[in-house]
Amino acid sequence: MSVYSPTLLKVKEVLPETHDIATLIMGFQDGAFAEEFSFKPGQFGLFGAFGEGECALAIASSPSSKGQITCSIKKVGKVTSSLTSANAGDIIGFRGPYGNWFPLEKMKGKKLFFIAGGIGFSAIRSSLLSVLEKKDNYKKVVLLYGARSVGELVYKRELADYEKNSKVDLIKTVDPGGDEKDWDGKVGFVPSVLEEMKPKPEGSVAIVCGPPVMIKITIATLVKHGFKREDVYTTLENRMKCGLGKCGRCNIGKAYVCKDGPVFTAAQIAEFPPDY
Amino acid sequence: MIEELRKIARDLLTSKKVGVVIGYAFVKANSNRTTPIFVTETEDIERLVFNPLCLNNLTVYLTKKKPEIQELGRPAIVAKGCDVRSILGLIKEFQLKREDVVIIGVGCEGVVRDFKDWSGKLTKESMPTKCLYCKVHVNELEAKPIEERRRFWKDQFEKCIRCYACRQVCPFCYCDRCISDKTMPRWIESSAHGRGNFAWNLIRAMHLAGRCISCEECNRVCPVEIPLNLLNREIEKEIQEKFEYVAGMDTETPPPLRIYSEKDDDAWIR
Amino acid sequence: MAKLLKVESPESVVEKLISLEKRVIAPVRDGRLHRFLPVTRMEDADFGYFQAEGSMKGYFLPATEGILKFSCTTNEQKLEEPDLEFPETFIVGCRPCDAAALSIQDKLFEWDYVDEFYKARRDSTTIVGLACTYADNNCFCTSMGLAPDSPDGSDILIVKTEEGFLAEISTKKGEKLASLLELKEKGSAEDRRRAGVNAGKLITREFRSEGIPGWLKSNFEHELWDSMCTKCIGCAACTFTCPTCHCFDIVDEPVGTSGERRKNWDACTLRTFTIHASGYNPRSVQYKRYRQRIEHKFNYYVDRFGRFLCTGCGRCIRVCPVSLDMAEVLEEISSRV
Repeated sequence: MSVYSPTLLKVKEVLPETHDIATLIMGFQDGAFAEEFSFKPGQFGLFGAFGEGECALAIASSPSSKGQITCSIKKVGKVTSSLTSANAGDIIGFRGPYGNWFPLEKMKGKKLFFIAGGIGFSAIRSSLLSVLEKKDNYKKVVLLYGARSVGELVYKRELADYEKNSKVDLIKTVDPGGDEKDWDGKVGFVPSVLEEMKPKPEGSVAIVCGPPVMIKITIATLVKHGFKREDVYTTLENRMKCGLGKCGRCNIGKAYVCKDGPVFTAAQIAEFPPDY
Repeated sequence: MIEELRKIARDLLTSKKVGVVIGYAFVKANSNRTTPIFVTETEDIERLVFNPLCLNNLTVYLTKKKPEIQELGRPAIVAKGCDVRSILGLIKEFQLKREDVVIIGVGCEGVVRDFKDWSGKLTKESMPTKCLYCKVHVNELEAKPIEERRRFWKDQFEKCIRCYACRQVCPFCYCDRCISDKTMPRWIESSAHGRGNFAWNLIRAMHLAGRCISCEECNRVCPVEIPLNLLNREIEKEIQEKFEYVAGMDTETPPPLRIYSEKDDDAWIR
Repeated sequence: MAKLLKVESPESVVEKLISLEKRVIAPVRDGRLHRFLPVTRMEDADFGYFQAEGSMKGYFLPATEGILKFSCTTNEQKLEEPDLEFPETFIVGCRPCDAAALSIQDKLFEWDYVDEFYKARRDSTTIVGLACTYADNNCFCTSMGLAPDSPDGSDILIVKTEEGFLAEISTKKGEKLASLLELKEKGSAEDRRRAGVNAGKLITREFRSEGIPGWLKSNFEHELWDSMCTKCIGCAACTFTCPTCHCFDIVDEPVGTSGERRKNWDACTLRTFTIHASGYNPRSVQYKRYRQRIEHKFNYYVDRFGRFLCTGCGRCIRVCPVSLDMAEVLEEISSRV
């Protein structure tokens, strides 16, 4: 088996999230591989549709769920079109886990702000689930999640569960104009809602993911409210092929997103050249 | 002649009739090689030259492949006779308006085929085929049986490394997304094997049918020395025979593959 | 420690290896170019060459390489990997700049994850270099820490001296080959030294390079990029002929429900190298793409692996359609350090 060889996954369930996003729950075909496999929250894999190609996607399930993994895909191009139209029983290739992870141990005892936009939620979901599994280790979880419209929110069925969780403060929002008659959340861009919340930096850590513009403004907002850049984490993406730090294409300056990332602190990002 | 060229360039820049003069200059480290320069300041005018080492077809910098050049302002461009034909072709394809470019035509008596062929002066042997009367090589290959021709090209394309130097240097390859870069669907395999290479090179030649003016830049830049333009000349010959059309001679005559004419030969429809 | 033995000539090495039925790759004349190709007769090898069109790169990282065959439907799944057994191979007559490129590239392909395809080919190949007796003014190997007679990357380096040819043996593979070739007679260190002095005189183009990584770190944004690199037309001629450039693409080539996954050469100078599926391109203008080339070779690779990703062979300069002289860019940077 070479480093470029995938293991096989079989799609167990397909959950449509929005008109162009689907969540796939997949089981490992190789029992021995499934036994050995583990990953840390924030890591990604290269999911492949045989005949189309591979695509780097965050592993969205919790590391504690054995034998199967979940990822959520937005249809934007060739490979993602194929993955989003997968059916139960289809075979998908997987290589991973690659990259670094969110250092959740370092965040023990703190108040965690999970701030996500659109499909960005899938990149931090594994961390959120991990944290909630050991919720006594953390002081509080604030989940601020927004999307362009109600239809664009992912993991809608889970939001109600998070709301019920005593450890979690859920604030959901949609962009102005994206609300509906029955919408009981806020209306406003995620960074604006964050501004209104006046988040306090003492004893807090933030984990942010969403469209690039949203990440940029959210980080600026957090810093404005006194958050240290070392305490703000995000996960970046770039065009990827090998995932191993060899093909040379995912770098932002000297950092390879697949090896030095995808998880970076805002402090690290502040040092990046404008190469992304 | 160089003084006259520099004077014209200086006048155009200082009167603000143009924002940039696209021309040739010697490479700093090597006086046997020229390179394109984009003159926007009068102090750089002295670098402009014209001589048999001015091989490049600078027209490529007028195309939408180089938007950063288009942003420099209205261009003046130093153009040899063969280069002017590609400018006319671009105007005909609505990539450029005649009034938006100043053509500084230079009287060219031939250029050397490649920098490495330069021996100090221009000789017949070191000129590219476009500078000599050109039909010879095409007739030679055409006279061979089709299997031999197919083998010739198959062997040539085995060498191709898909660097796309031919495409990037060609003034008529300006598609925003080249067919070889399209993934939905993947029309042409991107791998540098014989099969993918054959498809790529043939399709590119077909996309240039009726447009290529045989500046032979593709021949010059190919790192593995495939005589690419030979394919284009064969197609040029067909176009001339079937449609009585020669590319790049004026801006009015409609290109045959864009226009339907009742006179078009339809004997091939059976 | 390098051992010096006398050897008759590079041709004699080829002849002996062919007689032992070994796979030999040597420079072969092809029209106006020389290319490194397998040879079965000594006469086909032509060592009177300056530089070959392609580097040795293609024998370790091929322009296109199958890495997986697949056939996957819901009912039947089959993955087949290519057999990583490569025949024992001897590359004879490669220039020091091409040999050194391999030891530079090794650092990446064996970093953390080992690329088995590259490694299997490297392990089964012995490199016999041939020191240069000629250089043109596009060669700048000495500015990259090398020399026309550098043994870096060669298992054996053949050097032409006043007394004949010497084989400078640097590795175990080289020793193994030396005994296969039955080289016994010791060579003179003084003879080798004099050849080195002559080699040192060949390179006319030199600049100070140690300050370049530092300048690149602080000058990601600088008007030099736009002014010097805008004429780049975005092909991959420099990248593909470069002996150290190694960026690659992974594509699937389907035939029905089965097909092959391939690893192909790719280039950061090409427009679509970093394009996202959404259409967004972080390096949307050509000078940004060329800047990445320079930063990667002379800053990032130095940072991570301690060496320039360049051996000063000059191919990029010779082959560039628009005569963008990369050494001129480096000289300009060096002058600003």
